[in-house]
Amino acid sequence: MPSSAEFAETIKSGELIESPREMTPEYLKELKHTLIVSGDTELISAPAYYLAAKRAPSINAFMTGIAIIQDELAHAHIAYHILEELGEEQEKLIFSRDPKSFRYPYAFDVPLDSWTELVVANGFYDQAGFCLLGDIHDKCSYGPWKRGLNKVMLEENFHLRNGRTWMKRISAAGGAAKDELQRAVDWMFPLSVEWFGLPDDKKMHSTQLEYRLKGLTNDQLRQWWLSTVVPYCEQIGVAVPAHKATRDGNDVWELDYPFPCEFDAEAKRWDFKQPITWDDVLARWRARGPRNAEMVAMFQEEFHNFRNTHRKES
Amino acid sequence: MPVNLVDLGVIYGITERNGVVDVDLTFTAMGCPASDFILEDVRERLLREDGVNEVRINVVWDPPWTAGRITQAGRDALEAWGLAV
Repeated sequence: MPSSAEFAETIKSGELIESPREMTPEYLKELKHTLIVSGDTELISAPAYYLAAKRAPSINAFMTGIAIIQDELAHAHIAYHILEELGEEQEKLIFSRDPKSFRYPYAFDVPLDSWTELVVANGFYDQAGFCLLGDIHDKCSYGPWKRGLNKVMLEENFHLRNGRTWMKRISAAGGAAKDELQRAVDWMFPLSVEWFGLPDDKKMHSTQLEYRLKGLTNDQLRQWWLSTVVPYCEQIGVAVPAHKATRDGNDVWELDYPFPCEFDAEAKRWDFKQPITWDDVLARWRARGPRNAEMVAMFQEEFHNFRNTHRKES
Repeated sequence: MPVNLVDLGVIYGITERNGVVDVDLTFTAMGCPASDFILEDVRERLLREDGVNEVRINVVWDPPWTAGRITQAGRDALEAWGLAV
């Protein structure tokens, strides 16, 4: 195992870390934490998307939804497989953890109830995943993960295309279809903005940045997301509560509502007149949202049922 | 995809007459999950050409697509991404 000073030098030099032998215990801990968030996010998107994909408007659309779910499960497997190589047990991580201890973004806990909401999730949530993973793919100091993300990035692009193509089509259809799209965007846009976590001025120190597990700060990632989503929505005629401004000669994306603010998950409604603190947001995240237990049970229950049957037979 | 539709060998024919373009194309599989937005992309891209007013796409399954239809450039692109062809 390298000393802390030697390890800091390796990280600074831009070299890749290839095995646990080359890590300090602190790096291993931070790497595992980052991988768990990534694996949990990919995994939970499968039941979240499945519950909405069942409402696809055609067989073809349903097949696209199912193909996306299959991709997400494979992406989760990449993260959990690396965790296994780092000494964790994949089976325990997926099937034996308490639902509340899963570390995926809160947005997935709010039910996607229609095909329209599913395609907005593909357009917004998969774009958030694309920014976060694209940064890791670009900058991550852990070689096996960086390389594993080659395939993931190609496939996330496909999910994004599904989201954007359908959002545009629904918007162009107008009438009730477009109203439904706008309602979905209204609650899903601020949840996606929240996805990137605490703003930089509230987060004094990032071990993930220090270890080059990622390269961009929360606010930089959020700006990247806004810079792709806002112009696209404007182009297809969907209103979003953000606009482009110029600060110190640079383009920045500003929100038209207090960030963070109050969200009613049951009603899927934001109260832009009710600013809250980040402590309030963190408390909401920790408590998890409406669909957390149901989604985790979707893959845990069957596993344990199978295990029990199997044991009785042998 | 790292490869374009022509090199993938799914474009079977294309004709233009008085601003109307007819395209015959196929998919690599009947259950292709990308079929919807491939159709949309083709239509959109052709409409960007000067003088094109209408695009008519005809999805055909005969002759069926096989990997033998991928051009050398297509093979090279897919192999560069680590996909077996």
